[in-house]
Amino acid sequence: MSEKILELRNLTMQFGGVKALDDVSLHVNKGEICALIGPNGAGKTTVFNVITGVYQATAGDIVFSGSSILGKKRHLITKLGLARTFQNVRLFGDMTALENVITATDVHKKSGLLGGLFGTPRSRREEKASKERAHELLKFLGIDHRADQLGKNLPYGDQRRLEIARALGTEPQVLLLDEPAAGFNPAEKVALANDIKKIRDAGYTVLLIEHDMSLIMGISDRVIVLDFGKKIADDIPSKVQNDPKVIEAYLGAPADAS
Amino acid sequence: MLNLRDAGSHFWDRLNPIQRKIFVVVAIAFLFVVPYLNEFGPTSFLNTPIASFKDALVYPIGMFVLMALGLNIVVGKSGLLDLGYVAFFAIGAYTGAILSTTTGLNMWEILPIGIALAMLSGFILGLPTLRLRGDYLAIVTLGFGEITRIVVLNSKFTGGTNGVPNIPPPPKVGPVVFNIMNPQNYYYLIVVMILLTIWMIRRLSVRRAGRAWEAIRQDEDVAMLMGVPTLKYKLWSFTIGAAVGGAAGVVFASKVMVIAPGMFDFQVSILILACVVFGGIGNIWGVVLGATLLAYIPERIRFLTDTRQLAFGLVLVIMMNFRPDGLLPRKKREKIKEKAKETK
Amino acid sequence: MNFSVLTSQFWSLLLSGISLGLIYVLIALGYTMVYGVLRLINFANSEIFMVGTFAVVFAETGLTGHTLDSEPLKGTQLFLTLGLAMLIAMAASGFTAVMVEILAYRRLRARGNNRLASLISAIGMSIALSEAASVLTDARPQSNPRLLEKTSLGEIAGANFRIDTVIVLVAAVVMFILLDRFVNKTRIGIAIRAVSMSEENAKLMGVNLNRVISITFLVGGIMTGAAAFLFMTVYETTKFTVGFNLGLAAFTAAVLGGIGNLRGAFYGGVTLGIMETMSAAVLGSQWKAVTVFVILVLVLLVRPNGLFGEAIQQARA
Ligand SMILES: Nc1ncnc2c1ncn2[C@@H]1O[C@H](COP(=O)(O)OP(=O)(O)O)[C@@H](O)[C@H]1O
Ligand SMILES: [Mg+2]
Repeated sequence: MSEKILELRNLTMQFGGVKALDDVSLHVNKGEICALIGPNGAGKTTVFNVITGVYQATAGDIVFSGSSILGKKRHLITKLGLARTFQNVRLFGDMTALENVITATDVHKKSGLLGGLFGTPRSRREEKASKERAHELLKFLGIDHRADQLGKNLPYGDQRRLEIARALGTEPQVLLLDEPAAGFNPAEKVALANDIKKIRDAGYTVLLIEHDMSLIMGISDRVIVLDFGKKIADDIPSKVQNDPKVIEAYLGAPADAS
Repeated sequence: MLNLRDAGSHFWDRLNPIQRKIFVVVAIAFLFVVPYLNEFGPTSFLNTPIASFKDALVYPIGMFVLMALGLNIVVGKSGLLDLGYVAFFAIGAYTGAILSTTTGLNMWEILPIGIALAMLSGFILGLPTLRLRGDYLAIVTLGFGEITRIVVLNSKFTGGTNGVPNIPPPPKVGPVVFNIMNPQNYYYLIVVMILLTIWMIRRLSVRRAGRAWEAIRQDEDVAMLMGVPTLKYKLWSFTIGAAVGGAAGVVFASKVMVIAPGMFDFQVSILILACVVFGGIGNIWGVVLGATLLAYIPERIRFLTDTRQLAFGLVLVIMMNFRPDGLLPRKKREKIKEKAKETK
Repeated sequence: MNFSVLTSQFWSLLLSGISLGLIYVLIALGYTMVYGVLRLINFANSEIFMVGTFAVVFAETGLTGHTLDSEPLKGTQLFLTLGLAMLIAMAASGFTAVMVEILAYRRLRARGNNRLASLISAIGMSIALSEAASVLTDARPQSNPRLLEKTSLGEIAGANFRIDTVIVLVAAVVMFILLDRFVNKTRIGIAIRAVSMSEENAKLMGVNLNRVISITFLVGGIMTGAAAFLFMTVYETTKFTVGFNLGLAAFTAAVLGGIGNLRGAFYGGVTLGIMETMSAAVLGSQWKAVTVFVILVLVLLVRPNGLFGEAIQQARA
């Protein structure tokens, strides 16, 4: 029996008159790759935004590892173990790739400003460890040769990979990926699918927003479908693919639009 | 246009460790002889017509460099526009003035108190206001600077309009005497403070705090989502900036011996901001260069003294529009140095 | 501290508060309009006001040949001279505002949105303007002649309705109504509102952004210039620093009403004028600026969208 690590309970998110999420309940099991799909504007990114504390849900609850994270500060949610990437790449462009990742690893450091200033042994140990960890993560995503380049100077694909590495830098329990394959060619998508599987095999849980059906079908353990802010399906890939409601939702919006 | 910053770091990169040590020693030795530079024939053009060269080195030049470095932590490193930086300078100066004239404490003992009070006021101002968006913060800090001046002007304990006279100089340290006859010793003191500040900034820049500031400056929302406790690090930036301003204030009071509210008006905040912007927001050496030039030129060229505020205003507009990175821009180049080390 | 004035002179304080507040309203409109379209505080608005006050002095002395000891004017001549002074102040401030937009903002805007750079550029503009005025006037206060004899039109409950007070009340309200109509009824006003709601959408609708922004600065400047005229009619003296405190107060008024919101600026200005006048009566006028600042900080912390309902638009991220 799989264990729920993240759960949205009857979540509603309203912007003025628009209900971006309407009484949505869903969960992610520990250790799985769970895909979140739906036509543009369905509310997928909004799910990430309420989970990570960017928006305050209008109603409902979000439970992570057994306790509610509703209303918690964003950096604390990250520290608890939820990290994300962005639909439109948002790196720290004036930092090197390595610094981008180290910044994320800082979240679990015990030493703060004063420790760094006076170079306490703990601070030095932590600095060294996080530098090593950052290189590891860059290697993991195959971009260690970019370590000393500025984020804004990286090629597009590497920027997307760096975003994943940065999110992993916070040592999340659940990694939230928002359309990580957007703008990728088929070969890059295959490579990314392998990376995501590798990430799952390394012990992380993944919640993945994606439009590319073949990518999703290949790697997901489970697929959740949103349409107009409502959950319309939640099942294993093969079943979801043939669900009439899902097919209908996608009729007007081509599945591979990104 | 020539990129001085890159030229400088190329030069530095090419030096081996021994050459670097020699360079630093020579640079510090040079700083030591600076107060006497105008006494040598070929360099006598450095002379400042109004204040003596040595005095000008302490104030405005040294003080501006020090304060610009402090403000640079706030504006340059973390991207928070503080328009009331003078308040911390004033708090330091009045702490120094009042304590040294009413208690038996000397300047060395007061220095940490002045720094602590400046930090405390930075904290109290920052805690509520650093949550605000950037332009609100700018106007609130502007207001705070003005309020500090008004309070000082209208309170008894600060001497009102007359200010505080007869501020004693600090007692001597070893053979180093501090009095009107030896302004160069104040200059050396300021140089030490500047070097300490530079050491501190350089150190923090490559550690957690520096990364947090950089992340906040570039994209505060993402910084938060990557786990940076943004309010905490903004507060740190604010209070450390305040500490530098407060330290400058304490020394300033004992150097000039009389302080009055007029010395701490809004113009000073703008001046320091202009130093930062002119030299290169976020770049230590740029800020040092900018502050030195903007402090020195009006002292050297007399007719500029009256119009210098006007010039500073124009400097801000022109730099922002045409060379927003200042004379020495912040890091643009990728770190070749780091790479070289890794491959060794 | 003297709380008894609040009861003994309540109506009189209320009247001065409202009249001061109405001047704030007009300056606050300058901040609020620009904020609406650019999402930036126009730091130079205080100097746009300052330029207006100097324009009044120029119009009432140099241009019309009056001196400080000229006799007050009467009838048509008075009306025409004051009218001319007001027009010149509005023109000078409006022109300055447009120049500020072109010199301090436009280039930066074209290169993408760098808020810090825009803020610093505007501050620089503000300093340059006020220091230029300082150099031109030797940093001395400038006064305009009392062309209008300040007779009292009557007293109600101890509040003295002096003619200049009444002019402020009437003129400010008329200017405000004109602006409100302009923004809500004319094509260009509607374009301004469209840009306030969403720059992208406005562009899609074919709005010429640069033109709309220039006109917004112009209109905000004209309002600020009208405020400068009213200010000079009541207080009769100005200095290169005059914009500093008035600018801070007017900005506070704009925030109090919800920045970006025109009617909010009206309520905010009047409320602030009353609070400031009453607190100055109790605490002493040297603490006026402190009161304003404390109000500003409290509002920003407790109700950043202002006391009077939502701002037109939430701040864009
Ligand atoms: N900050 C916001 N303000 C108003 N509406 C929003 C906001 N964020 C998202 N929405 C609306 O919520 C709906 C879902 O958006 P989103 O979650 O981005 O969809 P997607 O599934 O494509 O990621 C859309 O109608 C969008 O316009
Ligand atoms: Mg999306």
